[in-house]
Amino acid sequence: MTALLEVRHATRRFAGLVAVSDVSFTLAPGEILGLIGPNGAGKTTLISLISGTLAPSEGEVLFEGKSITHQPAFRRARLGIGRTFQIMRPFPGLSVLDNVAVGALFGHGGGQAQLAKAREQARSSLEFVGLGKFIDQRADELGGPGRKRLELAKALAMQPKVLLCDEVMAGLNHVEIDEVIDVIRKVRDQGISILVIEHVIKAIKSLSDRLLVLHHGVKIADGTSDEVLANPTVVQAYLGKKRT
Amino acid sequence: MKAWQKGSLVVALLVLVGVPWYGSDVLVQFGISTLLLAVLAQGWNIIGGYTGYASFGNSVFYGLGSYGVAIAMVQWHLPFGVGMGFGVVLAVVFAVLLGIPVLRLKGHYFAIATLALSQVMAAIVSNIPLAGQNIGLVLPPLNNDRLFYELSLGLLVVATLTIFWLTRSRFGFGLIAIRENEEGAAVMGVNTTLYKVMAFALSGIFSALAGGIHAYWITFLDPDSAFDISLNVKMIIMAVFGGAGTVLGPIVGAVSLSAISEFLSSEVTSIAGLFFGIVIVAAVVLMPRGLADMFRRFRKTGWRYFSENIRAHKL
Amino acid sequence: MDLLAQILVNGVLLGGLYAVMALGLALVWGVLNIVNLAHGAFIMLGAYVSWHLYTYLHIDPFLGLPITAVVMFALGYALQRGLLNLIVRAPMFNTLLITFGLEVVLTYLAQLAFSADFRTINPSYAGNSLQWGPVTLPVARLGAFCMAIVLTVGMWLFLLHTRLGRAIRATAQNLVAARLYGVEPRHLYAVTFAIGIALAGAAGGLYGTVSQINPYIGATLTAKSFAIAIIGGLDNPLGVIVGGLFLGIVESLTTLYVGPTYADVASFGILVLVLIVRPTGLLGKTA
Repeated sequence: MTALLEVRHATRRFAGLVAVSDVSFTLAPGEILGLIGPNGAGKTTLISLISGTLAPSEGEVLFEGKSITHQPAFRRARLGIGRTFQIMRPFPGLSVLDNVAVGALFGHGGGQAQLAKAREQARSSLEFVGLGKFIDQRADELGGPGRKRLELAKALAMQPKVLLCDEVMAGLNHVEIDEVIDVIRKVRDQGISILVIEHVIKAIKSLSDRLLVLHHGVKIADGTSDEVLANPTVVQAYLGKKRT
Repeated sequence: MKAWQKGSLVVALLVLVGVPWYGSDVLVQFGISTLLLAVLAQGWNIIGGYTGYASFGNSVFYGLGSYGVAIAMVQWHLPFGVGMGFGVVLAVVFAVLLGIPVLRLKGHYFAIATLALSQVMAAIVSNIPLAGQNIGLVLPPLNNDRLFYELSLGLLVVATLTIFWLTRSRFGFGLIAIRENEEGAAVMGVNTTLYKVMAFALSGIFSALAGGIHAYWITFLDPDSAFDISLNVKMIIMAVFGGAGTVLGPIVGAVSLSAISEFLSSEVTSIAGLFFGIVIVAAVVLMPRGLADMFRRFRKTGWRYFSENIRAHKL
Repeated sequence: MDLLAQILVNGVLLGGLYAVMALGLALVWGVLNIVNLAHGAFIMLGAYVSWHLYTYLHIDPFLGLPITAVVMFALGYALQRGLLNLIVRAPMFNTLLITFGLEVVLTYLAQLAFSADFRTINPSYAGNSLQWGPVTLPVARLGAFCMAIVLTVGMWLFLLHTRLGRAIRATAQNLVAARLYGVEPRHLYAVTFAIGIALAGAAGGLYGTVSQINPYIGATLTAKSFAIAIIGGLDNPLGVIVGGLFLGIVESLTTLYVGPTYADVASFGILVLVLIVRPTGLLGKTA
């Protein structure tokens, strides 16, 4: 089965700092891949290389077998790559509904041409993530957990094939985390592949088919949750060097 | 929009259309100036209000439109309509060629770049013989204020309808998304470069058409008056004073500020300009989101509206 | 060859004056993020203050520069504390608008107070020049240039080596940092703005000795100052020297080889190019 998304030897440098170094992995259709690693490991940078927000210094990104390495972000969105941002990017002056409608208007395949249809689609995305009641509020009036869901709804309204989630569970309590896990599973049930960055190990363990671990920009493990979490290199990365 | 609001707009429009028949000559002339300023403000509204790129260079489009008509009519003896078309073509070419590099700049850098561009254009045009160089051009006279008035009014209606269409179209939503969060818009599939250039060109077209009408009406044109920076700032002030990013705000701003300025000019000539400046300063402090926002919120919060604005923004 | 040397020297002398004109703007912009569209109007006011000191109190314009600077400092402090403070946390665009409004107000007030007549500050030595080899150095321009360098280097030293200067630079990063230096933020903001205006006023005093002044020169001087500040780069306090010299020389060369009406095209054309190609300026760090 050809991978839906493939990253080959991706490297990204910033004036003296190497954020991502020679990382390669694949994402299969219908798969949930968890991306973990200590703070500053380069996870968000890697996601930005895939969504097109940043260009790689070296390496390639392939989507459905074709290279998208030099495509601008908006074209990747139209191909079917959606993402949420860790530092959220709502459209503050617009209502919650219209925020999501932008995704429906411009998403996969160029989106809807009609505003009315886009709003309908936005409505169903908002129901899907559980924000149905907040449709007419201004986006900047939502609380923290609401904003995270809004990010998700916006990406979903694009009808993506791949969803890149950047810390959608940060700052949520146990109950809210379980709700988000449910939503993500429902997303996968719709046939969408998901790459999830998360710090809450328990959550990501139960959610992911596979785990990918980054540390200082380098991939140090790639496999099933059990394999990866038992890997001594991974344990060391999180806990620091063992004292001899 | 409710029925009574639609109704009052239609009535207002009919009243305006009729001005040349029941109004004095002075009123018609004031009307033409004000209508053209309103067109400029609406044009600016597209790139500045809806897309969030505060252009200080729309006076360039105005000048290109003026010179387009002037050159076509004076040097090539073509009719006014062709001249207007020529002005529009010049504006679009300029918007695309210079828009692409300049629209990559953010915030005040974009503002300054467009300001600099308008200075450059004025200086360049004053050196071109075809454009009459520093002396300018004199157009064939047409003594028909009524025609100019209705043309200007028609142009304003078209501009306003365009803005209205923006608020309910995919293109307009894309522009608003760019304004609210450009990177977020790009990641959601908005072709930000294309849309920005299109918005710039669209705003330029209206500015050019206004410039063309003005040139023919005044029958005289020189680089300083055609590319006048203060015109650019006037259109921004009017749009913002009335409410940038709203459909009718710029019209309200243009009409109210023109009326105040006119009234002061006739009463106390030298103080008029001074008062204008004071109004701007006071408005930015007390009602930064324009008259449109003030009318909406004043009903709920009363006089506290002004102090709240200050409290929210002061150090 | 001699002509070229003269043109280059003219350009350098002009450049020094340009540098000090842009200095205040760059300071206020870099530290307070205030894009002051009225900057040129303050230069104009400084010129008038110097003119009044010279015409009515017979104070030499160069010696009286500190007085002009103090007067303008007070004006700047009052304006920041009384007016600009009110919109510090508003979107940047509001600052553009309010300073534009200020420009209009100041220009009209100047017109009312001083009439629209052209004036110059003409001390007795103004017509003299020095010879340096093949090159003629008009005394007034040379004086303006020297003062400009003194002010610019002085400003740079102030920012780097005094406590207040360091506090100002810290504020550019972070308002809390200002409190760590023991200075109240509103006062610090006002002092910074006041210094910027004082510099503009001093530049005006110098400008008055080499050129005619009237109430309307503000707009052009603002545009020029912007060009200099951006071309030189806002990150480095010495950027304005580079920007000023660069622009002075370019304008002199353009005037000679292309034509005087093209000087403005050259300056603003270069500004646009710099903005497009290297927005951080000639001395700025690449993004």
